[in-house]
Amino acid sequence: MVSRRGWLFVALVFFAIAGWQLGRGVWIQTKAWAAQILIAQAWAATLDGRQGAKPWSWADTWPVARLSVPRLAVERYVLAGADGAAMPFGPGHMHGTALPGMAGNSVVGGHRDTHLAFMRRMRAGDLIEIERADGTRASYRVAYAAVLDRREMWVADPEGPTRLTLVTCYPFDALGVDGPLRYVVVAFRD
Amino acid sequence: MQTTEHHPKAALPLIALLTLASALGVTVAIILAGLTMLLAAPAYAEPARTKEAGFFLRSRGGDPVAAPLLATDVAFRVSGPIARARVVQTFRNPHDAWYEGVYVFPLPESGAVDRLVLRIGTRVVEGEIRERELAKQAYARARAAGQRAALLDQERPNIFSTNVANIAPGETVVVELEYQQVIRYDNGRFSLRFPMVVGPRYISTAAVPVVADAHRITPPVMRPGTEGERTNPVSIRVTLDAGVPLATVESAYHPIDVKERDDSRREIVLADAATPANRDFELTWVPRQSALPQAAWFAERVGADHYALLMLLPPEAARASRLPREVVFVLDTSGSMAGASIRQAKEALELALGRLGPQDRFEVIEFNSGARALFNGARDAEPDNLRAAVRWVRALEARGGTEMAAALRLALDGSERSNRVRQVVFLTDGAVGNEEALFRLIGERLGDSRLFTVGIGSAPNSHFMTKAAQLGGGTFTYIGRIEEVRGKMGELFAKLEAPVLKDLQAHWPEGVQVEAWPARLPDLYAGEPLVLVARLDKLAGELRVRGQRDGSAWEARVPLEEHATATGLGAVWAREKVTALVDSLREGASETVVRSRVIELAQAHRLVTKYTSFVAVDKTPVRASEEALKRAEVPTLLPEGWQYDKVFGELPRGATDSRRSLFLGMLALLLAVGALRLRAKPW
Repeated sequence: MVSRRGWLFVALVFFAIAGWQLGRGVWIQTKAWAAQILIAQAWAATLDGRQGAKPWSWADTWPVARLSVPRLAVERYVLAGADGAAMPFGPGHMHGTALPGMAGNSVVGGHRDTHLAFMRRMRAGDLIEIERADGTRASYRVAYAAVLDRREMWVADPEGPTRLTLVTCYPFDALGVDGPLRYVVVAFRD
Repeated sequence: MQTTEHHPKAALPLIALLTLASALGVTVAIILAGLTMLLAAPAYAEPARTKEAGFFLRSRGGDPVAAPLLATDVAFRVSGPIARARVVQTFRNPHDAWYEGVYVFPLPESGAVDRLVLRIGTRVVEGEIRERELAKQAYARARAAGQRAALLDQERPNIFSTNVANIAPGETVVVELEYQQVIRYDNGRFSLRFPMVVGPRYISTAAVPVVADAHRITPPVMRPGTEGERTNPVSIRVTLDAGVPLATVESAYHPIDVKERDDSRREIVLADAATPANRDFELTWVPRQSALPQAAWFAERVGADHYALLMLLPPEAARASRLPREVVFVLDTSGSMAGASIRQAKEALELALGRLGPQDRFEVIEFNSGARALFNGARDAEPDNLRAAVRWVRALEARGGTEMAAALRLALDGSERSNRVRQVVFLTDGAVGNEEALFRLIGERLGDSRLFTVGIGSAPNSHFMTKAAQLGGGTFTYIGRIEEVRGKMGELFAKLEAPVLKDLQAHWPEGVQVEAWPARLPDLYAGEPLVLVARLDKLAGELRVRGQRDGSAWEARVPLEEHATATGLGAVWAREKVTALVDSLREGASETVVRSRVIELAQAHRLVTKYTSFVAVDKTPVRASEEALKRAEVPTLLPEGWQYDKVFGELPRGATDSRRSLFLGMLALLLAVGALRLRAKPW
């Protein structure tokens, strides 16, 4: 049978794993939210006229818009680029699509477990407000949501009526990250 | 050693332990997070695992499923140096509605398209060359009036579009076009290349609108596996009269059936009469060594003019001592290269790195949505650097867009080096829509570097490959299969390493009025012939061609009267002149002047150009005005070896694995506590 010392060793190993995984999980979440605070400062600088203000000196992204959903009391700073460099720190604007607030389709991708977790609570008719880099605002109204395969790139076509397309992984509660599904909310310019 | 009885209050210390452990873990994590963010040097905690997907433009408008069905049949007649092709496009409308079909397809970039015929059953309508806008208007009027009509436009030197209006329900309409081109000769081989599909092009939205006609060069693409009935079958027949006894005739990418008629004649067909239109067709034939002359001079009399073609092959250069080189390799790692192409390119690059000598310097650049250089400036080609480069290249993945301008800016800085030969080797499929902007960039920043292109994959953009190499003073080659890499790269190395024949000039005899193209003769690499086309008023006297190689002079003399006959040289000459005129736009010539000169030439020789199109209208209207006309773009296949998802991209991935980590962490915690319990109460 396993000795008392044996069980202690096993327990310590599991505690170590627990600490590591819990730490990692918390680290990702903390990073996501702490970053938004720093990005808020960069946004203030952007409104003052500084272009491409970096939230911290080694950042390779910068805020391009402020997005808020009044009904859900949500405020997020959208970063340039919807890729692995920007998205841990905030929703990312997909290159090649219109900038939020500009004519055409603006596509913003973000993580379902951090910045875009609120998407599951969105409803048709919800108002989304965008603040542009020059301080002016634009309003969008949610028209529909859809669960799509990640290859359905038609939804990211930059042409067509002015709208905001939010994209995140689906299902919201899944643990895996490589799933093929995306949850897409489309809001048209009000 | 004490035994404890199980009693309910054991739960309390358990919960306390749990809380303490998680609180500890969380506190540690927050401290670490704070420290890292505040103090860390510029290094990422998580590498950018997901680069942004490339954004290749997909055509809008028209429903590909409802488009007319298309079959293409091509017949080549090769006579000596000239190939004449007839491309027959059969549009069949299987639907109940009237349709207009639009088909975007490639032709060789040097082809002179000089005939269009529209056939409906037994009715035959000859097309006419008109100025482009006027042709469009004539077509639009005919379409609206319910007349059958066909319009053939050039979008790029190697991309054309056929519009066919008013195909009745259940009807079949045939569009025939004809072109001719000069056969390519290189390193002892003649070759005929026929592209069959325009690969999806990357249209950059970074600088809008650089490619204003993007929608005209990006037909809808069928996702592989969904073709079904719509495979765009192609049949090809080649009647080859080489003019010299032949040793071998081969097709690089398709199985063929060859019938031998005599020593120098062959009849070739594609083995599969319904070959899918998803890759280039290339036929090569090798003459028997003894039979090949150094100079071939062909002429044709058309009215008062003589049109002539010269193919001059300088003798092989003696192997001179190599000048030290600085070689910059530029590798396209965009989404269109994913799959077979990137494998071919990597292998080619590795071979090339292995060829560098200790006195050479090198740099490697990769580009997709952005450009990155391996070193910060060229390094010596010594084993450590070469090994690092090979490792780096092997790890590259193909995804994202094709921002070639960024790569060109990195590779070319306009500088001049006296002691080194600087060669920039571009390995790419050329799947871009902004060729003109790139050509201008090459012109501005070339300096004394030389640019070589290696066209990779099943459907490279030949217009880009040939023109970029021409502007860059280099040469081009194609690699379409992994098995070709070694051979083709070996030939390219021979060209890169051997001295070039330069400062070529053609001295025409006195008293002869001549207009010859190209006006400026390019430098020649090992194995390459000098090709020029001329219009003369008489064939008398001797042409002298002079050049310099490795310090020593070279001259060839060609008596003009002794010529072989060839047909179609007039169209070829006119096409070369049109190309030269259009090229002059890049150097600042007036568009109005160029346009009118091109239109004049095109109308005299019936050529499709940037400013002229073919239009054919059947006089009798067939569709009543109440009947609706639907428009559909004929979908094309994805070039073979390309990966659909890598080309067209995916929606952003929006999930971290923080939730999974927290879940696993809690699980581990429970197991840890469980272990402690078992320690306290062993069984």
